[in-house]
Amino acid sequence: MNAKKNSFMQMQPPMLKVLYALIPLVVAAIYYFGWRFLLVLAVVNAVGILTEYLMARTYSMKVTSSVLVTNFLFALSLPPTIPLWIAVVGIVFGVVFGKMVFGGFGKNVFNPAISGRAFIYISFGVPLTGRFVDPVAGTALRGFAAWTPSIDTVSSVTPLVQQAQGTEFALRDLFLGNLVGSFGETSALLIILGGVYIVWKKSANWHFIAASVVSFLVLYGALFYSGIQGAINPVYALFSGSFLFAAVFMVTDPVSASQTTNLGRWIYGSIFGVMTVLIRVYSGWPEGVTFALLFANMFAPLIDHLIKEQKKKRKEKKAATA
Amino acid sequence: MSESAYPIAIFFAAIFTNNILLSNYLGMCSFLSVSRELKTSLGLGIAVIFVMTSTSMLNWVVYYKILEPLGIEYLRFIVFIIVIAAFVQLVEMIIERVSEVLYAALGIFLPLITVNCAILGVSLFMVIRDYTFVESITFGLGSGIGWFLAIMAMAGIRQKLKRARIPHGLEGAGITLIITGMMALAFMGFSGMLQIG
Repeated sequence: MNAKKNSFMQMQPPMLKVLYALIPLVVAAIYYFGWRFLLVLAVVNAVGILTEYLMARTYSMKVTSSVLVTNFLFALSLPPTIPLWIAVVGIVFGVVFGKMVFGGFGKNVFNPAISGRAFIYISFGVPLTGRFVDPVAGTALRGFAAWTPSIDTVSSVTPLVQQAQGTEFALRDLFLGNLVGSFGETSALLIILGGVYIVWKKSANWHFIAASVVSFLVLYGALFYSGIQGAINPVYALFSGSFLFAAVFMVTDPVSASQTTNLGRWIYGSIFGVMTVLIRVYSGWPEGVTFALLFANMFAPLIDHLIKEQKKKRKEKKAATA
Repeated sequence: MSESAYPIAIFFAAIFTNNILLSNYLGMCSFLSVSRELKTSLGLGIAVIFVMTSTSMLNWVVYYKILEPLGIEYLRFIVFIIVIAAFVQLVEMIIERVSEVLYAALGIFLPLITVNCAILGVSLFMVIRDYTFVESITFGLGSGIGWFLAIMAMAGIRQKLKRARIPHGLEGAGITLIITGMMALAFMGFSGMLQIG
């Protein structure tokens, strides 16, 4: 690591690669929802870095570049009309209680970005679930020529909710992201490209993504074809909401995930996929990604521990028979 | 929902939507102190499942067959505690006679359970929510399994925490309560799935 070059921030190459993968999403967020996204991103970054700096000082540690990833993921997961102060509350909670109380980077149990997101999700229901807007339309420049989407369309519900109620969407729109939704979650295409990049650069392990997507499609398919009310076509479901975004960029976070074996990765990813489907279809929340991820985080250490014990036992058995 | 499916709904609701520990915050004391080690958590967790199921059954019989006909329902608090304590003592004695191994594994946890408020809580919820006998059993079993899941997850997390650098002021109960809060946050996701009581 080239820690010497930078006295303020400790740079971690794998984390920086995740950031590169997120840049197209940032551009897309501006394209669809206007320049205000940059303001949100800047405020979240400033507050996030400041929080980590203040906390890290007491440990006499440096700010790590992972906080940038947390900031970007958090900002991209917010709805476009988010008031700035709510974003601030969320990122402070995420950095402090998601990460720093455990002793900083590498020690945290829960993903900091999703911790902050969950906290504001349950605290400020209306701004986070009821005030989505249509993307900027009209000129060819779209959001590049606008500050925010026009507020006439406020309180549009997300495609996830509309589809559960029976509205049909073009798969092309879901795929490209020209839809109501959070800043960065709408474009499946860019998320997949980013995912390919971080897997190729070995910043993320593909087992996580595969496990999440496969378990999601299997369970959603089973529910859809057995005609459960509220379950929509699994392929459409995959491209709506923030499932892909979380599966590619958050489930693969090596710190809060099950990290020792591929078996652990598959179990962990499947918990996430299955829980997302169950919460989406059965609970009162429209989107289950946030809670499903916290749920998976919560069981990751136990999974790791049990697999390690199992391995140890098998080795002892082998040693005993040999 | 059909009448016969209701006990099953109660079972799942007791595990997830109305988790006795993470949504009612009952049974906190032994949860905080015992979750330090995975092995003890496993022992206590299984003991809680067993005792919760059995005492909810017993207390249902005691409440509806003895207290209610006599018109002394207001004594339920003290009677439930006596039933739980007597049951746990009895089980402890039987286990000691029958199985050395089981006694070594569960023995020390049984007295702890007598004072576990989650056990009493389950019996009281059962009365408040007017459960039938079968519903009480599934509710007791589900609550026990929910408690078991929570303490196992916490024990796993605390294994991982041994390598973390927790700030001094937060060591022990402090960080455990913060993690419990985060776990409860995760369980918020189940709200609205099943409605009971």
